[in-house]
Amino acid sequence: MTHTLHRSGTAQSLARDYVWQLYHAKGVNDHNLVERLRQAIAIVEEVGSVNWGDVKSGSVITLAAQEIKARITEKSRIRGVFTSRGQVTEFLRRMRQADLGLCVIISGLLDSVFLACQEAGLKPHTINYSLGIFGRQALAADEDSLDITTMCGHHMVPDGLAKQMREKVRGGQLSPEEAAVKLASFCPCGIFNQERAAELLGREKKLSPPR
Amino acid sequence: MKQGVAVIDQDVCVECWVCYRNRVCPHDCFSPTPLTLCGDVLKHVLSDPTVTSKGTGVPGRGTEEAKTNDVTGRYGKGVYGICIDMGRPGVGAYIRDVEKVAMAVAEAGVTFASPDETPLSTVMSNLSTGKIREELLDVHILSVIIEGTCEKGRLRSVLEALLKVETEIDTVFSLGIVLALAEDGDDYLMSTLDQVGIPQPIRGKVNVGLGRPLFSSQGDRTVKKESVL
Repeated sequence: MTHTLHRSGTAQSLARDYVWQLYHAKGVNDHNLVERLRQAIAIVEEVGSVNWGDVKSGSVITLAAQEIKARITEKSRIRGVFTSRGQVTEFLRRMRQADLGLCVIISGLLDSVFLACQEAGLKPHTINYSLGIFGRQALAADEDSLDITTMCGHHMVPDGLAKQMREKVRGGQLSPEEAAVKLASFCPCGIFNQERAAELLGREKKLSPPR
Repeated sequence: MKQGVAVIDQDVCVECWVCYRNRVCPHDCFSPTPLTLCGDVLKHVLSDPTVTSKGTGVPGRGTEEAKTNDVTGRYGKGVYGICIDMGRPGVGAYIRDVEKVAMAVAEAGVTFASPDETPLSTVMSNLSTGKIREELLDVHILSVIIEGTCEKGRLRSVLEALLKVETEIDTVFSLGIVLALAEDGDDYLMSTLDQVGIPQPIRGKVNVGLGRPLFSSQGDRTVKKESVL
């Protein structure tokens, strides 16, 4: 899956957006998986992840963290999002120390992720580089919508919902934070960054209400 | 709208079930479509990430690509991973356009991932050419990944094929290239991107190498997977 790879936005905005993922390969590093995932989640919670979840049960936006942890199985995929490079560094440092054997992936601005790896004493192993959008790009939503909707790379946050939320913020019917949480609730993986979304939606307040 | 009632166009619907799962209808009118045809199942498996593909054992469009490379060694020295995310972001794609791109990159040097690694390969009638089963060509999906590898020496041909075929499709795709940095530097990739006119990437997904046991290129480990889609 590449659902964390192609998040759009300016470098300034993306500097507050780092997706983390915990993976395993069947038959290789999946022994005692549930317990090790719970240990990793404890690290995530200490570092502070603005959103996280398991696609099989939901995100902390829609479910209590305890409920997600209780529902973890061998088929779980745990992932979430940090809002600063400092958090990435701290997370990697602690994961390295814990030595849980899980595959750890960080998706974000390459310069920042490389620096975080270096600070944590790690050397990047493999990279999937995001090279952009090709084809009939006029068919895609406008950039302001994509900056929001691509934070759920499975595109479970519809363009129409993003447009509606932007209009409601512009019209004063919702605060940027309320609209951001509504959008985040559509992303079952928990990788939607509602803090960044609120910042992006905050721009709408400066625009005139829709006619 | 038909006679004042909103009707879903089933030819365009991708069966992601976002409307159903999130109860967006105030009158709770949405219910899951019975998935009777092979095309309906394909739509749903590819478009709804909460579903696990039987073939890959992975939720969603189903591939682990770079994410487990530290323990699987799928991409080694001199081998580039190609991830073409058809229909993304948010446009959707007909399988006939997916086939067009798949066949173009196959001719340029891409070897597709096996059916037990990626769902699209399970519906290819010819894994060497990228030809997809005829009865699925008119199926509309939210997105699917054309995934495979190419030798270092074929990378430029593959990128040029993509730049040509992008003008022949009625949708979009997002492109990712996977590289085992621990095995190979990225100088060759960056210079090849310059040569074909693709901007240098600023974002990426980094496997930080914490998986254990680390894959050894001297080992003969094989990751067993279950039956196909």
